[in-house]
Amino acid sequence: MRPKHARHFPWLLYLAPALLVYTVFMAFPLIDSLRLSLFSGNSQATRIFVGLDNFKRLFTDPEISTRYWGAFFNTWKFFFVHLIVQNGLGIFFAVLLTHETMKGRHIYQTIIFIPTTFAVLITGYLWKLMLNPVWAGDFLVSIGLPFLKHPYLGDTNTALWAVSLVSCWQWLGIPTMMFVAALRNISTELLEAARLEGAGNGKTFWYIKLPLIKPVVGIIAVLTFVNNFNAFDIVFAMENVNGAPEYSTDLIGTLFYRYGIAGQHPIGIPDAGLGAAIATITFLLLLVLVIPTLKNTQRSA
Amino acid sequence: MKRLHVLLPMLLLLCVLLPVSAQGSKAAASDEVVLTMGSWRTDDVEQMNRLLAAYKKLAPEVTIKFQPTNPPDYNATLRLQLDSGTGPDLMYARSYAAGQELFNAGYFADCTDIPGLMDNFTASNLAPWQMSDGTMFAVPFAAVSHAVYYNKDIFKKEGLAIPDDWESFLSLCNTLENRGYTPLANGLADEWDILETFFFGLLPNYIGGADMRVKYENGELPLNDKNFIAAYQAMADVARYCPDGFESVTYNDSQVLFNSQKAVMFVDGSWTAGVYKDASFDWGLFAIPAPKGKNTAICFHPDMAITMNRATKYPEEAKAFLAWLCTEEGATTASQNLPSGYFPMINFPIELEDPHANEFLSLNTGKETDARFVWPKLMNLYSPMNQAVIKVMKGDITAKQAADSVSDLM
Repeated sequence: MRPKHARHFPWLLYLAPALLVYTVFMAFPLIDSLRLSLFSGNSQATRIFVGLDNFKRLFTDPEISTRYWGAFFNTWKFFFVHLIVQNGLGIFFAVLLTHETMKGRHIYQTIIFIPTTFAVLITGYLWKLMLNPVWAGDFLVSIGLPFLKHPYLGDTNTALWAVSLVSCWQWLGIPTMMFVAALRNISTELLEAARLEGAGNGKTFWYIKLPLIKPVVGIIAVLTFVNNFNAFDIVFAMENVNGAPEYSTDLIGTLFYRYGIAGQHPIGIPDAGLGAAIATITFLLLLVLVIPTLKNTQRSA
Repeated sequence: MKRLHVLLPMLLLLCVLLPVSAQGSKAAASDEVVLTMGSWRTDDVEQMNRLLAAYKKLAPEVTIKFQPTNPPDYNATLRLQLDSGTGPDLMYARSYAAGQELFNAGYFADCTDIPGLMDNFTASNLAPWQMSDGTMFAVPFAAVSHAVYYNKDIFKKEGLAIPDDWESFLSLCNTLENRGYTPLANGLADEWDILETFFFGLLPNYIGGADMRVKYENGELPLNDKNFIAAYQAMADVARYCPDGFESVTYNDSQVLFNSQKAVMFVDGSWTAGVYKDASFDWGLFAIPAPKGKNTAICFHPDMAITMNRATKYPEEAKAFLAWLCTEEGATTASQNLPSGYFPMINFPIELEDPHANEFLSLNTGKETDARFVWPKLMNLYSPMNQAVIKVMKGDITAKQAADSVSDLM
């Protein structure tokens, strides 16, 4: 038997570069931003320790807390639309694509996946034009659908839904691909056995396919949650950082950007401490909600 | 490891010392003074270099280097430079609070005794860069204006005239609408433009100039008096003349609508004038008209000023440049090199080359002018007022409710 340290040394050595990069670029900034939430001031020179004052302001200042809770609930809505529409359609398309009678699977797969390869700023901008009655209105009238002419992005009742659905459309390819991969892993013997026992498509899906891809459903749900709680770019591309109209598309991401990074137009003096406080709460929320979800869905895997 | 401890500081020291000594020796060799100028106008490098070259002819021993920063980063970058003692010798100063803060922090020099400054500018043009005790912290440089852009070709074709008052402006819009045009290009999607160009543009017509603004600032007049309600009502009245679906029309969309003749008029700021330089139609400007019985006033907004660093190594040279900007000759040279849509604030009658720029300036003649309402003292009301204007234009609230929602925050 070789001495103990020799056995441990090699894997540590292989791990070291990744660990170093991770620590310097991920873990340290994360911990430092948690620390920053306890300070006020923007530069090293003017930074003062203020304890939990930033958190207090976030929840008690009437203006800031209204904005925070507004953004908070909008973010939940934004997430639920993704969870239901994006992932629901993802499973639906994946089941269709993996069905044995399906023809031209690759073409459909490509069509569904293509939008995910576009830049959010570009798809956001194109959709912004298409949803704008000034540019698309005449077209809708000419094809006999004048009732669809509506300023979706300027109406507080529709703006958040429109932005969420565009985002779902763009990212639909990712869950679809993962579900397709998971469904293909199900052994054909199981499906054949089910068919021989007289199970139709519906029964096969509910009792065979869905239980077997449950771990993937869990992972997708967690990824959807994490990605959409940090969403910023699609709102930035389609509306503005104020979450227009009337803050109805303001997400935690845009709120954080406004308070912590850019500062409110037109003065533009950011409040890094308050921004870090918003980020800290989001981080803790993700942590609290992600761990049980992973535990529940991954146990059977 | 030990050696590294010694080497590293030495290397760092070298890095810091090298540029300093290099600059020192150069200055000594040719007796030349090099001043740097910080700015947020990255678009104006060419114009500023022409201006600085003109100054170099007058003061051959002084070279001023224009070093602009990306506009959104300017406040933060400048602050960082000043905090660390590497600030520029000359720099652009923001108006009101943002500038006052840097004077209080000890970075901006006291400019009060610069020859010509106190004499050649009106009090209202000095105010944006003045402390409450009258100390000046910068030399006013350029202002922007706000007006109605209109398509002269369509006006001629339809036999329409420039309206004298707000009521005839509305009936003009109505006529245009009846004849199948989109009267106004303005939209709400980007939010800032409807407030800064349109609402603040027409507000002086309803509440008056700077002397009246002060009364609102110190609480003598409420922000929901009949003048304010009338101003919000005016916004509600024009909403129907904006494009179909104006709720989702962005600032860019508005420019395209006007430039492609899809909309006949556009209430906008002077800085856009350059966008329509190559327009295929003839366009002109008129002041946003006041309602009957009131005087039309202009929102002529102080935007840029130049100041000097209190810690500069060459205070005499920096001061001489600022003094030059306060002379007729200097101001004229400076104005001729301003980008189109930016106007000199000095009292001398300055002829600009761009005809549209002159048209803009001529709107000021005989009228009262003031800065955008919230800038001087009430910046915290910017967002609430912005939302109030948007809601009133969408018809979600009445003009009275809009005024109340803002005055409640005073």
